[in-house]
Amino acid sequence: MASSSNAKHKRIAEEEEEEEEEEEETLEEIEGFDDFTLASSWERFISEIEAICRVWMVDGPKNLVEKGAECLGSQKKLYKVKSEMKHGTKLYSIEYYFCVSNKGKASFWDDDLHDLQLSFGVSDFMVIAPLSASGVVLDAPESTKLLSSVAIALTNCGSNWPAFVPVHDPSRKAYIGIQNLGLIFTRRFDADRIGSQVPIRLMHLEGLYELFISKFALYSVDFSASFFKVQFAMKLTYRSPPYESDDEINSVDPEVNESKGDIVSPNHIKTQWDDDCPWTEWYSAEDPIRGFELVAIWSGRMFESSLEMAELENASSFDAEKWLLCPIIFPFMIDDSTWMFVGFASQIRLLVSALDMSFEAQFLDDFVSVENPASDNSKSSTAIPPPTVLDRVLKEIFHDGGHNSHLVERDNKHSRAIKGAPLESLFAQFCLHSLWFGGCNIRAIASLWIEFVREVRWCWEESQPLPKMPSDSTIDLSACLIHQKLQMLAICIEKKNLSHDTHNSTESVDHTPSGKKVDAEADPFKEPVKNENGSYLRSYCHQDSEPSTSSSFKHHDYSVRSPDLQKVDQVRKGSAGVVGSMMLLHSYQKMHAPYTQDAPIMTEDMHEERLHAVEVFGDAFSFSGQLERDILSSDMSAFKAANPDAVFEDFIRWHSPGDWENDDTDGCAGDGNNWPPRGKLSQRMSEHGNLWRQIWNDSPPLPVLEQKSLLDPIREGEKILHYLETLKPHQLLEQMVCTAFRASADILNQTMYGDFKPMKTRFNQLYITLASTLKPLQANHLREKAELIGDLRRLCLVFEHIEKLLIFAASIHRKLLDVPRLSEAMFSDYFNFYLPKMGTSLESICYDQEFKTKQLVMMHERDAVAILFPPPTANQSWRKVLSMGNLLNGHEPILREIIFSINDRVEDSHYGSSIPMATTEEIQTHRMYIQGTSNDLWVALSVTSWD
Amino acid sequence: MDSASSGQPEFDYLFKLLLIGDSGVGKSSLLLRFTSDSFEDLSPTIGVDFKVKIVNIGGKRLKLAIWDTAGQERFRTLTSSYYRGAQGVIMVYDVTRRDTFTNLSDIWAKEIELYSTNQDCIKMLVGNKVDKEGERAVTKKEGIDFAREYGCLFLECSAKTRVNVEQCFEELVLKILETPSLCAEGSSGLKKNIFKQKPPQADASTSSCC
Repeated sequence: MASSSNAKHKRIAEEEEEEEEEEEETLEEIEGFDDFTLASSWERFISEIEAICRVWMVDGPKNLVEKGAECLGSQKKLYKVKSEMKHGTKLYSIEYYFCVSNKGKASFWDDDLHDLQLSFGVSDFMVIAPLSASGVVLDAPESTKLLSSVAIALTNCGSNWPAFVPVHDPSRKAYIGIQNLGLIFTRRFDADRIGSQVPIRLMHLEGLYELFISKFALYSVDFSASFFKVQFAMKLTYRSPPYESDDEINSVDPEVNESKGDIVSPNHIKTQWDDDCPWTEWYSAEDPIRGFELVAIWSGRMFESSLEMAELENASSFDAEKWLLCPIIFPFMIDDSTWMFVGFASQIRLLVSALDMSFEAQFLDDFVSVENPASDNSKSSTAIPPPTVLDRVLKEIFHDGGHNSHLVERDNKHSRAIKGAPLESLFAQFCLHSLWFGGCNIRAIASLWIEFVREVRWCWEESQPLPKMPSDSTIDLSACLIHQKLQMLAICIEKKNLSHDTHNSTESVDHTPSGKKVDAEADPFKEPVKNENGSYLRSYCHQDSEPSTSSSFKHHDYSVRSPDLQKVDQVRKGSAGVVGSMMLLHSYQKMHAPYTQDAPIMTEDMHEERLHAVEVFGDAFSFSGQLERDILSSDMSAFKAANPDAVFEDFIRWHSPGDWENDDTDGCAGDGNNWPPRGKLSQRMSEHGNLWRQIWNDSPPLPVLEQKSLLDPIREGEKILHYLETLKPHQLLEQMVCTAFRASADILNQTMYGDFKPMKTRFNQLYITLASTLKPLQANHLREKAELIGDLRRLCLVFEHIEKLLIFAASIHRKLLDVPRLSEAMFSDYFNFYLPKMGTSLESICYDQEFKTKQLVMMHERDAVAILFPPPTANQSWRKVLSMGNLLNGHEPILREIIFSINDRVEDSHYGSSIPMATTEEIQTHRMYIQGTSNDLWVALSVTSWD
Repeated sequence: MDSASSGQPEFDYLFKLLLIGDSGVGKSSLLLRFTSDSFEDLSPTIGVDFKVKIVNIGGKRLKLAIWDTAGQERFRTLTSSYYRGAQGVIMVYDVTRRDTFTNLSDIWAKEIELYSTNQDCIKMLVGNKVDKEGERAVTKKEGIDFAREYGCLFLECSAKTRVNVEQCFEELVLKILETPSLCAEGSSGLKKNIFKQKPPQADASTSSCC
């Protein structure tokens, strides 16, 4: 508490120290006269350590965790508590590391082990270090003193925690340590490193073995001869060479493989790894997987001579007991503070900013024409790309064909829930292109849009079909309004063309309602099936084609006439064929279904307008939509034309069969049997003043060809262009944001990544999140703008997470194609690792930890995994001095870790006799951990002694 | 009623309900019974009809805009408009005509699936004309089974004898009130446009506890 304030003053005014000290210290000094047990400052220091240790001991691991001990490692086993204290003028930190779920010693090679645990084979331990820049004790007396203090303190508490002090230079990672083991034994720890110029002897297993032996065999002469049962375990780590898509590229830069430490070399030329991934059309992603690390483990062998060690060095890594594989992740995949991920998510984020700005102006032209005073950002962010670029992009947008393979729209229900345009449609392509057009700023978008609309108008004026807009004469109301308008325009263009054609052939007709109506009369029996897109006519035929019993044909030879026998009906017009076996009531003729006009197509806003009109007039009088009345009237006219002798009842029988009550008990089948069909209109249909009959009476017999069209393509087309040309900037941007999200999601969703369930689930969740978040965007009533933009930004972040995960999934999938189990397991490890990041908060969570989860490679998978380590080419290996042995396909390990240990029976000790405890227990007397490569060696030794 | 539609929120919620089903099952009669408590032989609806009724249900003042559609196939091409933004859909069949019941699964349930823009939209199955008990062709059990399968509310009623008519609308509305997302949509904002009202977020959370 006082320590920090003290620290400030110390150097400045040493002599004033006593006055400056806070009262505790003063008190101590005064009381020091009386308290002889705390005579020296050193003793005080020890007692301070002791006090801290006691607190920790009393609390126990569980309470310490509850009190907020810091968790280390991904598996949440190791925790750390920390305290600080002062001795003399120096501050020290004392840290206690402890394991929570100590289910025995799992293995030496547990990934989650702390360095010190691994090196010295301890579980709970303490580290005491000076609080300085280097964090180590530089001089030997101090370190010894420090360690002694801790040892005394710990003994006083009756604790047997090992304690460590970092010594020497930090780069040496040197430690000394001590541990009390009961009354007699003491374990001492020592670790140091040779950073370079490792003696050749120590590069080889044999030499290392001898190093270990030398620590307890007193006479160096006899190591090779004597028998020591040395436990041995080894872990070798290999790293795959960086990914090359092509072998010949390797020759470009032989340096790359040499520098193993940093795999990423920016100037390295390579073909893109994601060339055939669906997103490459728009951007190229960094490969999230830089390579693989393979860990081969030899565990628990017993060696008795250095010769055996030498043999082991030649063993193939395929002989290792265990293989573990771990992908090396491009670190920036996780840490977004230093590196900006460029993908759909980043571009959409720019689009959202454009949306934010779009509220500033009334018209899109305002953004293009004048330099907007409000947008005082740097020039680059508001620049419009040069006309050549604009032209090229425009051509790409309007270029039809080439995409046909993709045209099969995946009818994804989730995707449809997002109110955007379908992926391959014109507007979606516009949106995708604008994402990458001139940094996606509002001015660039505005200029592209203006040209886009100009191009659309050209298509309209020239009656050219709109590219990427299949006109299947329906309008997808779940799409965004612009897409609906373009769909409608495509239909209008088609109808406009048709009406021109018809004008050429028959001068009387103004607009034909639908497609190939022109030749409808020529072949009435074939056409309806493919012509009327609505199921309407066909279903009528089906509906009434009750099993027309052969008896009906016997009765009425007339009805068996072949379809082309039409001479009877000279005046019949616009027939689409007979309706089952239905006969007219008042004339002995089959009933013909007429061609009818397509129901007028309407875009969302037209629907709304109509509903609104109904709402306004609705309740005042019994309302029926004018449009429906027109349709009914048109149907009646067409029916009259197709059945010149029909009466109202006939029409009802065809149009609303429910309102015709057959007298026959056996229902409709009676129609053909007896002529005239007996029955009557339903009560409600036959009432006086029935609206249906009124309309019937007013409808002239007219086939659809001669009717006024329910849809005026010229008028509607112009209306649409007017809409597009006067679209408010924010309306455009809102729809663009929705469409961009939807289209990007659809593109990413095409990625092949095998059967990674969590990815699939997440992706579907993404769709749902997108749909619900984007829903208010196109509503008439806008929410608070700031809130909306905030939501969208968050959505971009969510999208980015999924996008990154997906790229990872694709990468790991294609790298481990032959071992799907492994790739799946790795993906799910990574997924779980990444998961905590996936919050929706805007501030990015930085991970300081690396992804290190390894997956066990099964025996049968080893061959497939070894392929990841292609034998080095001559170029790569010529310079390499192969020094360590245990090669994997010619690659030497990047790291070798070895643990030697030797056990001894306590009673067999040199001082054998006087051990009171009757233990025949074996204890580990010497343990050595060696970690290194050919030019870097780190050795940690722990020795148990009884002195 | 006119003043209600002119903008003042004289109601807490506005809900859009939709009646669908085969021609002649009594959709319009049901609506007429509910809105003006009368029964007469109506001529078949051409296309669509529309009625508004203000009711007090569950302690809330509600404006119900009820859309009555024509059952004829020909008009079905236009119906997608009416499904848009509906919080409740009532599927009506005639208990004396089996085909009107079978068409529910063949046609009407699919139409809802296709056109409804509201995933949470409440569906209700209503068997009409129970006054003609003697001619019954669809048992109550079948109705219940259907409702269970499609996740609907279910009631049998008679527009002629007014049995269960009120309850039918009441239950549907109560269910809508229980569904926060639908409540949020229907809550009376300041905007005049009734079709696409979106309340501010805060409102949605408060209404969710109702």
